[in-house]
Amino acid sequence: MTTVAPVSASIAAMYQDALLSHHRAPHNRRVIEAPSASGARKNPVCGDEITVMVSLVGDVVQDVAFTGRGCSISTASASMMTDAVQGLAIGEAVALADAVDRMLHPAGRSAGAQSAVEALPELLTPLRGVAPFPGRHGCAMLPWQALREALTGKR
Amino acid sequence: MSLRSLAPRADFPLLAANPGLHYLDSAATSQKPKAMLDALRHFYETANANPHRGAYALSALATDAYHDARATIARFVGVADADCLIFTRGTTESMNLVSSSWGGAHVGPGDEIVVSALEHHANFVTWQQLALRTGATLRIVELTPTQTIDLDMLRDVVSARTKIVAITHVSNAVGSITPLQEVVRIVRSRSAAVIVVDGAQAVPHLAVNFDALDIDFYAFSGHKLLGPMGIGVLVGRRALLEAMPPYQFGGDMIEWVRDTDSTWNVLPHKFEAGTPNAADAVALAAAVRYLQELGMDKVRAHEVALLEAAEASVRALPGVTVYGPPPAQRSGVLSFSLADVHPHDLATILDQHGVCIRAGHHCAQPLMRRLGVSATARASFYVYSDGSDVDALVGALAAAQQLFATVG
Repeated sequence: MTTVAPVSASIAAMYQDALLSHHRAPHNRRVIEAPSASGARKNPVCGDEITVMVSLVGDVVQDVAFTGRGCSISTASASMMTDAVQGLAIGEAVALADAVDRMLHPAGRSAGAQSAVEALPELLTPLRGVAPFPGRHGCAMLPWQALREALTGKR
Repeated sequence: MSLRSLAPRADFPLLAANPGLHYLDSAATSQKPKAMLDALRHFYETANANPHRGAYALSALATDAYHDARATIARFVGVADADCLIFTRGTTESMNLVSSSWGGAHVGPGDEIVVSALEHHANFVTWQQLALRTGATLRIVELTPTQTIDLDMLRDVVSARTKIVAITHVSNAVGSITPLQEVVRIVRSRSAAVIVVDGAQAVPHLAVNFDALDIDFYAFSGHKLLGPMGIGVLVGRRALLEAMPPYQFGGDMIEWVRDTDSTWNVLPHKFEAGTPNAADAVALAAAVRYLQELGMDKVRAHEVALLEAAEASVRALPGVTVYGPPPAQRSGVLSFSLADVHPHDLATILDQHGVCIRAGHHCAQPLMRRLGVSATARASFYVYSDGSDVDALVGALAAAQQLFATVG
């Protein structure tokens, strides 16, 4: 007889319904035929890989989609990302990727200073639950790194 | 379940200090017994000097301790000629040594190197790169449906062109035990290849006798068998080792240095350039004595009992795939996946329950590709594991499934 262990509060907070529902039914997991740019990243820890495709009009992200397989965190992060960067200028989308990075790795945390909680679009709020799990930051950042690569050509 | 640990948890300071911890990642590295830690400290406190150097009593003490450690470890793995046991940083360096030294001298265009699809990257990339460097061909022996080496294919692949057969004794990713006697018979009957065996996952868990195996090189790491990180072993046949060029140059490995050339020290020193890692060798010998007191037969039986219990409970959960052959043909490794939960998510959730497992490709990407997955979850057992670890694992897996089933 299997005894089901209780789930801790922080785990429940990270895997809140919003994040898991993105994982279950990710938005924009599809191929963009003839994209303006694309970026692909692998997580060397787990072997997951993700490709992000963007379709640009001028310097505005008109469409963005992803393919690949991954854990719930990277899949949900990719799903939310495609919602969040739709319609942004390249610079704004890259700035958003940087903001997510900073949210996960707050500057000055090691120095004891509490950095101000930066504003993120509300639809990215579930990603904050990943912050207390350093082992998973790479999973959350994987699609954003692929996006950054697609938009800037830099890794 | 009520299965007790083989070694008292009180012997392991980290486990004693964390009674709620269920450490199920011993295939990555083992926990350390106090006896080993004490030996390490004792060396530095009582015998610390540079071995083979000083003409003073303390240096002689260090030299003796290092020499005795080599003898103890050689006996443990069935090596009568202890000077054929080379200390390295670990299995990875041992493989690089053979590849660079023996491979560099003997492998060229038209030759073939045979590995299996089961290999850890240390015993795969090393040979892949040697093949690329020398113009040789890398041949990969595929696996049976239960992830053991396909001996029929091995028979087909090994030929007079084969220079090296590099194969694991026990798979780190799924635990399969290779029938080495069969492998040796096949290779010897079809080629003059040297047989290199990765014993990193075997020596901690099985009684190993190098001299009885009729192989050429055998490598393992200390930290997986209760020893410290940073020390490992390469065992080789004397005739091969003596004919091989040095792998690294420096102090201790030379006999005579002239302005324009040099000659080399005898075995084992020829392959141990620089100040030897005497302290870790002494500590590893203490770990070996600890295992000898437990008895390797008992270690093996304990792991099989845990594995059978864990596998039965895990298989009872919905949507579980377990990789590898049946428990009796595996070391203490349970590699699996759940239909609805990615291994990485699983490891995070299990960690919150104090259950440490590995999630990932286990440095075996060729194997993961053949399994059609990017990663698996791996729970691995050792002498300090007990029934409470199995219960915690299964309970936390059920919790993870429940969490992923209740939303979306």
